[in-house]
Amino acid sequence: MDLKFPSHGYKDVFYNSIAPMLIVGTDAPHYTMLDVNNAYLFATHTRREDIIGQPVFGVFPANPGDMVSKNIERVIFSFEQAIKTKVTHTMYNYRYDIPIPGSNEFEERYWTTSNTPVLNESSEVLYLIHSPSNVTELYKAQEREQAAIDLTKKQQQQLQSIFMQAPVGIGIFKGPDYIADLINPPLCKLYGKTEAALLGKKIFDVLPDAKGRGFEVLLDNVRLTGIPYRGEELGIPMLRNGKLETVYVNFVYEPFRESDETITGVIVVATEVTELVNAKNKIEEVELRNRIAVNAVGLGTFDLDLLTNEAFTSTQFARIFGFAEALPRNNYLELFHPDDEPIRRQALKDALVTGRLFYECRIIHKDSSMHWVRAEGKVIYDDDGKPLSISGIALDITKEKKSADEQRKLISLVENSVDLMSILKMDGYNSYINEAGRKLLGFKDETEVLHRPVSELHSPEHLLQVQQEVIPSVMNTGRWSGVMIVRHLQTGENFPVYNNCFRIDDPVTGAPISIGAVMRDMRPELAAKAALADSEQMLRNITTASPAALWMSDENGHITYVNQTWVNWTGTLYEANLGSGWLQKIVDEDRIRVADKFMNDVLEKRNYEVEFRITHADGKIHWCLANGQPHYDNDGKFAGYIGSCMDITEQKMLQQQKDDFIGIASHELKTPVTTIKGYAQILEKMLQHHGLAREASMVSRMDSQLKSLTSLIADLLDVTKINSGRLQFNDREFEFNPMVNDLVEDLQRITDKHTFILHMNKTGIVFGDRERIGQVITNLITNAVKYSPGAEHIVITTAIENNEVTLCVEDYGIGIPRDKLDKVFEQFYRVSGDLQYTFPGLGLGLYISSEIIKREGGRIWVNSVEGKGSTFCFALPLVNEN
Amino acid sequence: MMHRSKRVMIADDDPGILDCLSIMLEYDGYEVSSTLNGANLLRLGDDLPDLLLLDTWMSGVDGRDVCAYLKGNEPTKKIPIIMISASKDVEASALQAGADAFLEKPFEMDDLLSKVEQYIG
Repeated sequence: MDLKFPSHGYKDVFYNSIAPMLIVGTDAPHYTMLDVNNAYLFATHTRREDIIGQPVFGVFPANPGDMVSKNIERVIFSFEQAIKTKVTHTMYNYRYDIPIPGSNEFEERYWTTSNTPVLNESSEVLYLIHSPSNVTELYKAQEREQAAIDLTKKQQQQLQSIFMQAPVGIGIFKGPDYIADLINPPLCKLYGKTEAALLGKKIFDVLPDAKGRGFEVLLDNVRLTGIPYRGEELGIPMLRNGKLETVYVNFVYEPFRESDETITGVIVVATEVTELVNAKNKIEEVELRNRIAVNAVGLGTFDLDLLTNEAFTSTQFARIFGFAEALPRNNYLELFHPDDEPIRRQALKDALVTGRLFYECRIIHKDSSMHWVRAEGKVIYDDDGKPLSISGIALDITKEKKSADEQRKLISLVENSVDLMSILKMDGYNSYINEAGRKLLGFKDETEVLHRPVSELHSPEHLLQVQQEVIPSVMNTGRWSGVMIVRHLQTGENFPVYNNCFRIDDPVTGAPISIGAVMRDMRPELAAKAALADSEQMLRNITTASPAALWMSDENGHITYVNQTWVNWTGTLYEANLGSGWLQKIVDEDRIRVADKFMNDVLEKRNYEVEFRITHADGKIHWCLANGQPHYDNDGKFAGYIGSCMDITEQKMLQQQKDDFIGIASHELKTPVTTIKGYAQILEKMLQHHGLAREASMVSRMDSQLKSLTSLIADLLDVTKINSGRLQFNDREFEFNPMVNDLVEDLQRITDKHTFILHMNKTGIVFGDRERIGQVITNLITNAVKYSPGAEHIVITTAIENNEVTLCVEDYGIGIPRDKLDKVFEQFYRVSGDLQYTFPGLGLGLYISSEIIKREGGRIWVNSVEGKGSTFCFALPLVNEN
Repeated sequence: MMHRSKRVMIADDDPGILDCLSIMLEYDGYEVSSTLNGANLLRLGDDLPDLLLLDTWMSGVDGRDVCAYLKGNEPTKKIPIIMISASKDVEASALQAGADAFLEKPFEMDDLLSKVEQYIG
């Protein structure tokens, strides 16, 4: 045998090698297949003729179903590496599916392939030996193993995860001391401890509050008997997160068995249901409250049977309709307000369609009072969808309606307010401005309000105030009020408004949502102020320039103001006159009288008038007439006096001169009258002596005219004396009645027409000037005669009343008009009108009489009916006998 | 006409009064002397009147002073003095000064005559 290996033998080796081999050319990108061995053909289900001379990737295209392997790119890369590095390049465990002959299918294949370059003498790569090993089975086995491992791992993780993340607490407690062996976070949480604080510890050491509450017995039972225990909503007091609370738990105790079935502990599965229990308790509480509330808010319930039209109503329902207890349905129906009855009917009809009943109607109770009722209900259907009944509630909403009414009024109030009212949103736009505001700022309509930002309502310089002062203040303090300048949208006029604005917060979140503002146009006020200032200035000028002194006092009579005139007169400082300082300038003799008069008038709040003398700055004495009137503030409260003070020195002087003149003149008249009287009386005597009776009578009449003249002169003198305070009295005690009797007798002698009827009751002694009082009586009687020309009688009555001696003279004459009664005692008052000229006189008699009686400490008065007559009376104090 | 021997003196600064009263008193039978100057009364000699009608206010002298002087002097103190005045207010001071009676002007002649007669009738 020839042991030399024949050269064609290598070819046999190649073809017969069990390792698949393919000879690939270096003609990239074709990589033409040059030769192939049998193993390769077998492995790739190909035939030699399919391969030789063909490009490798033409025969072995990529599996369109395998988008991940990128096998062609990997093979090309390997070829290139082998050619480039001229050493073997190996690809491990890559997928390269091969087509299944006769089909478009591919067979999944995994390969480990080496590409070995074959070099020539010049070290050039002649071709590549591509030698793939089919590792598909191996690879798949590995893959399956890995998948099994992964699955186990995953399952383990899932279990762990379930255990750890289960929403229920799970724990394993081992041995008779129940040492925590395993415990998941929910159970830790339930116990209020960390895992570390629990693991390896006796559970009742860690949770002392749970000790002695029966749990030990339960656990022992499970551990010793193997019978599980289930507990529901058990309350456990527990110190959690620093506070003791009752934790409610649903739990199961299961025995923990080892693989040999011995029980070594207890599995605890626990769910905390505290919130659930609390919620349940709360629900019960709410239900209870609702029941109470339903009664409290007066909800009545009803159930209307739609088949019979009968209604079952609660007592409260009946009460809403004004009945004490539930009544048949008709009783309720007849109470509906006729205007609202159609509403109720319609609501009932609608309910059958919509399934819901709702209406608000007025009802009129039997006592005629009107009430608003709201009814709400739900239609109940049978299985065929046919409505059976309506159940619902009724509520008296009279108050609500009224408040809605109030709200409407409020809105109307806002809309009709003369002040601007607005709501400014946080985005700088107003959401509302009332009508007055729209007019004030020149908005055309409500819509324009929404589209004009607040920045357009102020000129830029005034907007600064809004931005820097107003809004920050409102945001920080909730309010701002003050003057701001706004701009009219149409005219562009800037004008001041007084703004009172406030923050409006969301009632729920408390976040500011808008700014409410109430603004008033200040222009009228400013104009009024300016006018007031002008008029104040004017008044000041007037009061300063006033020729009269002006003054004011407070309600206590303390002077609070004197004008410049008074200050100038008295040469004092303004302040020195305040309070009662002004009295210091009144002369000593008058001061107390004036002060008393003023204080008394202030007390009585009556008009004040007094004359006094003051010392002027130059030391001269001036007469003043002070007047004051009480004044009242706007609330009608007495606020003091406002008054004036006139310098009447000149009038006083003139009056004095007049009195002096009348006094002197009257006095000087007396001498010639005396002389004339003398001559007349002698003449009368002489004429009588010579028997010339007629001539003597004429002279006698002349003498009686002289008596009238004398009387007039006497009156004038009396008046001047009264005015100057020089009327003198020669007072002494005298019997009143005899004096009256003598006078009446004397007067009767000279009166022929009237008869005097004298009623003299017991009187007594009077202290006074007998002649002056007689003068008064004479005056009253002569007046009675004078003013009752058509009457025949005059009644004179004396009496004692209340410790006073009174005398009345009653005539039946012309009387005095009611409105003149209080004038008859005034100086120079005379009967006026057509009758005036019928009754000559100076009008001094009653004035003098009244002055005399007053000076004697008595009273004088008159009662009169016009056309019927008058009764003049006076009263004087009676002197006690003892 | 039983009073011829009685002399009445009138002192008044008004000639009309003097004239009128003189006529009246003379007509009633009195012997009348008169003076316009009250001061003259302070120098009355031995020829004293039986009654003096004295005006209160006379130019140059107050009638009440004259009255008081005459009433304070021995020869004249017994002469009744009737003081006359236009003012009633003077009455008290006149009587104070020693006057025996007071008449207010204007008076009735009969009143004057009856007063005069009361003292020297």
